Amino acid sequence: MAMDSSYGDEFAVGCFLSIKTTLGDEFEGQIITFDKLSNILVLQEGSKTGPRRNIRLLKANYIKDFTLLGQAEDPLDHKKCYLDLASLQAREEAAIRQAELEAVRIGVGVTSEAQSVFDALSKTLPVHWDKTVIVVMNEVRVSSPYLPENVIGGTPAANDRVKKVLEFERKRLHARGPSQ
Amino acid sequence: MSLQQVVQPRPSANGFGRRRVEREMGSRLDSKPHSGKSNPNSFTIAGAPNGSKVGGYESPSRDWLIYLTTCLIGHHVEVQVKNGSSFSGIFHATNAEKDYGVILKMARLIKDGSFRGQKSLSESIGKPPSKTLIIPAKELVQIIAKGVPLSGDGLANGLQCEKRKDIMIDSLISHSHHVDVQRELERWTPVEDDLQLPELENIFDNPWNRNWDQFETNEALFGVKSTFDEELYTTKLERGPKMRELEREASRIAREIEGEETLDLHLAEERGFCFHEDFDIDEETRFSSVFRGVDDSGYEESEDTTLDSRNTETFGGSSGTVISRSFSDVARGRTDGAQASSSSLSMDEAQSSQSIASKDLHRLSSIDHAKQLTSDCVSKSGKSRMHENQFREQHGGKSYSTESTERKICRVGEETQTSKSEDIQSSLNVKKAVSDKVGLSPSATAFAPSSSVSSKGQENASLVGSSDSIGAGTIKAVNSRGRSGSSTSSTSEFVAAPSASSGPGLSPSSSVGSLSSEKSSLNPNAKEFKLNPNAKSFMPSQTPLRPPSPVSEGSFYFPANVSAVPHMHTVPVGIGIAPSFGHQPVIYNPQATPVQSPQPYVHPNGPLYGQQMILGHPRQVLYMPSYPQEMPYKGREF
Repeated sequence: MAMDSSYGDEFAVGCFLSIKTTLGDEFEGQIITFDKLSNILVLQEGSKTGPRRNIRLLKANYIKDFTLLGQAEDPLDHKKCYLDLASLQAREEAAIRQAELEAVRIGVGVTSEAQSVFDALSKTLPVHWDKTVIVVMNEVRVSSPYLPENVIGGTPAANDRVKKVLEFERKRLHARGPSQ
Repeated sequence: MSLQQVVQPRPSANGFGRRRVEREMGSRLDSKPHSGKSNPNSFTIAGAPNGSKVGGYESPSRDWLIYLTTCLIGHHVEVQVKNGSSFSGIFHATNAEKDYGVILKMARLIKDGSFRGQKSLSESIGKPPSKTLIIPAKELVQIIAKGVPLSGDGLANGLQCEKRKDIMIDSLISHSHHVDVQRELERWTPVEDDLQLPELENIFDNPWNRNWDQFETNEALFGVKSTFDEELYTTKLERGPKMRELEREASRIAREIEGEETLDLHLAEERGFCFHEDFDIDEETRFSSVFRGVDDSGYEESEDTTLDSRNTETFGGSSGTVISRSFSDVARGRTDGAQASSSSLSMDEAQSSQSIASKDLHRLSSIDHAKQLTSDCVSKSGKSRMHENQFREQHGGKSYSTESTERKICRVGEETQTSKSEDIQSSLNVKKAVSDKVGLSPSATAFAPSSSVSSKGQENASLVGSSDSIGAGTIKAVNSRGRSGSSTSSTSEFVAAPSASSGPGLSPSSSVGSLSSEKSSLNPNAKEFKLNPNAKSFMPSQTPLRPPSPVSEGSFYFPANVSAVPHMHTVPVGIGIAPSFGHQPVIYNPQATPVQSPQPYVHPNGPLYGQQMILGHPRQVLYMPSYPQEMPYKGREF
């Protein structure tokens, strides 16, 4: 199998395999490369759609079973392979920034229901978390269990508005059903 | 499970994250570890690594692994570990020396494979992502990444994408990553009934026909009550028995106005009149908004000749308007700096000027002579003006002749009054000369299709001081200069041109009409300014009227023989412009206040210079508009 891959896979670049892992995953892919040292097999999944591919790095020792489906040529064009480290760095920084922004939106230790309420409110109102309390427009606070009764604070107008939006969003969430 | 969440990555996991900074693009990957690891991984990843064994752990496949791994940096990946859990995060680094360990940033557990984690994954979502997550090689099972640009062009595109993301374009901001996944999306299929779509046809119906009231909806949904009160923005309508009559009257007037014959092509077009038979009129004339001289406010043609002749004789054809405008600016500035700023070209001008004028009247109380003369003159001119206006209304235009008479009367008064100061005298002369030119301002006002401009012209004329031209216009400027109060009053009279003369009925020009109604509360004796529709329009002359550089910055010339002049001495011909704006004092006192930035007034200066040229005086002789601050006023020789 993959164990005796000392020489086998080196020549098998481009082969289509169907693999089952020990953890229960099943997938198909085309071999891009295989590294003996670390025992990692790199596969390309899906149809080749331009320069962007779905790849999977799999530790070969977790392969339970595999089947050779066919053979094709190397999916990578060697001539076009080069790296722009600066752009990679930029990409990473951008991604991290983005992730941080999103992280703020997640309430810590709140139920997913609370999180959905938060997300729904954030569509039209400026909201942020204060522990487990949703703070809207910096003045109105909505605490667990995030029902219209729990809307406190702010000017009467703002308070009413938040209540309304909350009711509305809750109805919508219920209408969707518990298919979260 | 020994997953560690630490802030600092372990020394052994130096990986590419640290080293990538030093790597040159697409060249040798130099893996000198910072942490002092002894095993350099020097891989060449460029072009075809096939067969390029540099030694050590080199092998083409290894190279490729490194290459692909590097491609993953910054990408969102999912990492599965031995116990079945999956983490999602941003690929940061790998330690690929012997085995393959991974470092993720902002990682979150998305699937918990461990026994105790099975029950409530939902709660784990409530945890913040870990800044850095290290997954040792032993735990790693697989890494899944989607949409990874593997080749060069992919990278290039990726870079662009990233850059765009950085810029935070609207679509990016609004795109929510928290897509509502709860909905089952179904493909829309048109239902037979919908094909009619009756509502779409009515989409442009009048608001009262539509079935949807946005305010009601808003109130129902969000409890937002509309607090719109129409009467805050418009005159309250008295609804009552009288209403009908008033309505009728109003529509009658409206019909009259709209049905008026007009010489103005645009108005004619609007009102539906077939315009002239000669279809030579091109599109530009028909539809352009550039005013070309046809003005329509009910005056007869007869005025044309008189004015034209006057025009040519004084101006030789140009810059009249501009000068007037500048004069008015100055005038206004002089009188009341604060007010000056308001409304250049608005109907309010007349009003403000009127009020200013009246104010000035008060201010001038100190000047006894002036006052007396003024009042005399005023009354005379006032009355005559009244008559004049009425006359004008009825006969459409003979007033000009009367006007000139009046002016003369006023001038006489002024002259007497100013005999005190020789300077004033001389200035008067000069002013007269200039005023002659400016005199045509009323006609010149035809330049701009708003009566306000004409009123300005009026004021300008007065500014000049010599009631010669347009006694009426005398303006406040003159007042401020301590000029004859007569000027002032005449101005006010003229400008106010109140409804007294025009009356509530249809006024020759609708614009003027509105003006009259406004004025009614002010000076009842004041005369309303009537726009002269046949006035010669402004034609910019070819001569360079603008000085290449603004005069403003202290480019004045102080004539040697100028001595300290009493403040009564004023209005340098050219001025009217900007600098006066800065001056607040009732009596023109150049030392009193600093000059405001004359920038806005550079242009008016331009034609002025032209004007001066006509006068025969080079710039140097005349007072330069802008005073630098603190500069003592040395007076001007005129």
